[in-house]
Amino acid sequence: MGYPDYMYESIKLVEATRPKRVEMAKEGLQKFLKPLSAEEREKVLQENHPDYQPDACKPIRVGPNKGEYMTAEVVNILERPSPLPGDFAIEPVDYRTDVLVIGGGGAGCQAALWAAKNGAQVILCTKLRLGDANSMMSQGGMQASVNPGDSPLIHYLDAIGGGHFDNKPELVKVLTSEAPFIVKFLEELGVIWDRLPDGHYQTQSGGGASRRRMLSARDYTGAEIMRVLRDEVRNHPDKILVLEYLPAIELVKDEEGKVAGAVLFDMDTGQHFVVQAKAVVIATGGFGRIHIGGFPTTNHYGATMDGVVMAYRAGARLLHMDSVQFHPTGAIYPPQIHGFLITEKIRTMGGQPVNARGELFVYPLEPRDVEASKYIQECKKGLGVRTPDGQYGIWLDSPLIEILQGPGTIERAFPAMLRQCKRFGIDIRTLPMLVYPTLHYQNGGVEIDELCHTRVPNLLVAGEVSGGVHGRNRLMGNSVLDYNVFGRRAGIEAARIAKETEIKGRLNVAHVREYQEELKRKGVEPKGYAPILLPEYRNLEALKRHREEFDPFAPAGL
Amino acid sequence: MSGELIPIYIYSRRYFVPEGSTIISALEYIGFKLKKGVGCKEGFCGACASLYRLKDDYKLKGGLGCQTVVQPEMQIVQIPFVPAPKAIYNIEELEADPEIFVRFYPELYRCLSCNTCTKICPQELQVMDFVQAAIKGDFEQVANLSFDCIMCGLCSARCPAEITQFNLALLARRIYGKYLAKKSAHLEQRLKEVESGKFEEGYRELASLSPEELKNKYFQREINFQIT
Amino acid sequence: MIRMPYFPGCTLKTNAKNYDQSIKAIFRELGIDLVELPRWNCCGAVFSLSSDDLLRQVAPITNLLRTQELEGTDSVDDPRLVVPCAMCFNVLKRANQRVRENPEDLKKINDFLYLEAQPYAGEVQIVHPIELLIEVSRAEIEDKVRRPLKGLRVSPYYGCNLLRPKEVAIDNPEDPSVLEKITEMLGAEVVENPNRLRCCGSYQTVVDQRLVGDLVYDIVKGASRGGADLLITACPLCAFNLDFRQSDASKSHSDHKELPILYFSELIALAFGMKNSFGGEHFVNPAPLMENFLKKEKGGI
Repeated sequence: MGYPDYMYESIKLVEATRPKRVEMAKEGLQKFLKPLSAEEREKVLQENHPDYQPDACKPIRVGPNKGEYMTAEVVNILERPSPLPGDFAIEPVDYRTDVLVIGGGGAGCQAALWAAKNGAQVILCTKLRLGDANSMMSQGGMQASVNPGDSPLIHYLDAIGGGHFDNKPELVKVLTSEAPFIVKFLEELGVIWDRLPDGHYQTQSGGGASRRRMLSARDYTGAEIMRVLRDEVRNHPDKILVLEYLPAIELVKDEEGKVAGAVLFDMDTGQHFVVQAKAVVIATGGFGRIHIGGFPTTNHYGATMDGVVMAYRAGARLLHMDSVQFHPTGAIYPPQIHGFLITEKIRTMGGQPVNARGELFVYPLEPRDVEASKYIQECKKGLGVRTPDGQYGIWLDSPLIEILQGPGTIERAFPAMLRQCKRFGIDIRTLPMLVYPTLHYQNGGVEIDELCHTRVPNLLVAGEVSGGVHGRNRLMGNSVLDYNVFGRRAGIEAARIAKETEIKGRLNVAHVREYQEELKRKGVEPKGYAPILLPEYRNLEALKRHREEFDPFAPAGL
Repeated sequence: MSGELIPIYIYSRRYFVPEGSTIISALEYIGFKLKKGVGCKEGFCGACASLYRLKDDYKLKGGLGCQTVVQPEMQIVQIPFVPAPKAIYNIEELEADPEIFVRFYPELYRCLSCNTCTKICPQELQVMDFVQAAIKGDFEQVANLSFDCIMCGLCSARCPAEITQFNLALLARRIYGKYLAKKSAHLEQRLKEVESGKFEEGYRELASLSPEELKNKYFQREINFQIT
Repeated sequence: MIRMPYFPGCTLKTNAKNYDQSIKAIFRELGIDLVELPRWNCCGAVFSLSSDDLLRQVAPITNLLRTQELEGTDSVDDPRLVVPCAMCFNVLKRANQRVRENPEDLKKINDFLYLEAQPYAGEVQIVHPIELLIEVSRAEIEDKVRRPLKGLRVSPYYGCNLLRPKEVAIDNPEDPSVLEKITEMLGAEVVENPNRLRCCGSYQTVVDQRLVGDLVYDIVKGASRGGADLLITACPLCAFNLDFRQSDASKSHSDHKELPILYFSELIALAFGMKNSFGGEHFVNPAPLMENFLKKEKGGI
């Protein structure tokens, strides 16, 4: 438990430089460490960021984006066939509804609530439990321009610049202008924001943000919002049917090519169910569990890109799938918490990235991709700390927070982090944390317009699975905002189009067959199926004993 | 993490798993494909609640599967779900009055103050104290003490009075957040501005800039962390 | 100011705030600062009579442990726990007695409470505010009476929990006189009520309102026959029954005469010249009586 003895040599160096770094922080680190210029940013990204490495991307051979370069692991999954057999019969239909929401995280719950509010009958299906999503895990905060010295226009500028100007401007406008409303809406549902004594919100700065506008609920911001949204969904059993442990594995269409529902798969019983819906919202979240580049991830167990797969097969375009966000500070020690998210707020409240020699080597609050690249660079230079299992990390000097903000700050503002590290014998009030970039967010995704439409009729998308809101790099606090703003919009729009929609003809998965045929034509020889539903962590030795063809429980002669 | 294998028991069967494994990683090592009882794998979602006993120790302990490191001879079972009542309500119609507990979770008043809930909580929360705060009608105290609750359900599973601590705490927190927390005047102001269309012109202007102009505007923007 | 640990109990924090506030106010006048016991929990409300039902003793004993924890800290001057609610008083005192007389039980309970910083030693003393008032000298109380309750006719009602069983009794269970003494110190006239020691019906109020109505009819009649203007009590459940079940009394007895009910501490507060009302919900509204009385008084505040 705790750090191994040999690491204390480096820890002592960190402690030795701490007093000087406290002084620097008090005067304002911008005096000593200028934020990188555009050119410097480009250079450090090119040289160090995993996205820019040769072989990080490759062209996809099939589908609406064929020929474009996307992250290699993403292509590998998209180029897999569906597990549905070619002759899969869609009848009988098991559930009929107005709106089907696929995904039970923040965006899914917002969509379900607002669709119900606007008169729709809703089914929400999810792979694990309602609320099992990356939304539950975000810690630091949600951006909203609530301070008098701020404005939605400045928020817009920060977001679009942070996204390398690749964001769709109309989406950024929606994101930033609806933020204050979302703050109010969540508050009216009972979310407890951190506040100053006079009742105004406590706001923090964040990577890439030029103003303080990060609202928070301690370091359980995501959990606080998710718990409330989930509870509220469950307060409407007459309007919203929640189907847990029932992931969607394929969209179905009607004879006019409109998306008209989905096929669900029960992972325990092996059964299939068909939902017919007049509008479908995909809110399946991220892709951390495909471990791009072999990196560990901050994401939850079910973040396997299912929604992107289903939407792509149905003909939706993807945007910016060559861009992966690595969170600069993922825990790298102890091994049990490898990849865990250490919120950016640790840095906004004073924590500093420090190398093995105790040197503060970069301004702590560059946009995430730049910050992550600098940490990778530092370890490449040999200035990282080695863990017993051969990984490298840099120190995140958290005791500074107690010194700069007063004793008791960490306990008050970071109860989750304090508790998590204490479980493994590390008290972050007196010892620095050891971190390295970890796979964190899907910057791109299924392309949407301001009403969450994709180019496939009656298919709406919202949340992390969507693309265009954040460009090629998401700023801290904009994802929590994204799923609330666009989840809501998707719900309202889904209810609206459901009223006007008539399902024409028989349900079918012709688009799946077509996709399969395109794969064959392009000579793609994939291993396995997609969506992959759950990542594979079973030990190889244990898997060797698992014989797929040997199933004593295969139903006999029905 | 020495790489050595140590014995543990899942249900009553013995397995050997690497030292330093968590309960979840031990199950995966053994060959279980986890479809329930696992969620965020980071200690936030409460999906992996587990009960276990240690060697030569009669005490029944609770912990999160993704955070609890296995010990030799540990006996483990997962509790992926705890049946519990969840009140259905319209929060707009409620008031910050302890009457709501009488209405939605009357078993609250059966509390024996035995502290069993506190002892099993994997987040080390003062569960009994927030239950008592609810009895006293102190919503703020319930919110403060239960804030880090991940709703794993172990407290409710063990409670002799059969109270559902995590659901009534959630109701109390929502009531506090909606009715008792102070409000922000600045937010009301900003909402009015947005609604009046004050920023439409600015957005149009930004959208009309050329890529060069936009870049310049971005890199030259003022960085100012004052609130006003 | 002498600081003493104070146990309000659940009802004084919710439905009997007037009792809580009036108690704290009158003792502040008398130089005693009642400091709420940190981390107190519900007393358990009913003392378990089963000899093997130890789990039910954990709630009251935990509160006595919290009182014991104040020893050695500089938070109180007189370490005795002050408990106004007659039911809480009864439960806490009996639990204390039980573990003092049964060291085996105390050990088992302490074993169960193994996560606490210290085991309970059984030494805490519990005192009811009425007992405290008797300790304070008559002269001191009369000195604080700025508004003598001349002309007010009061019928003290004891109920059960202050006097039974013997081990908790704050006075002679057959013929108590403490409330009468206090009433006289305030300048009011005591009305003898032959039914002042009768049970009000207690928790039967939840299942059999008519029964409680009948009991209350007798108790209030005992007072009104003697010409009383009001009754005073020291228990929130008695206060509820005596007050709200007068509606059931009226339903069953056409000759029922309604009388208002106050806590004894509210009466003392009135005599001390404090505000006329500490709020609280009433079926029989005491306001007309109070207004009338205040109109009649000459001089004073």
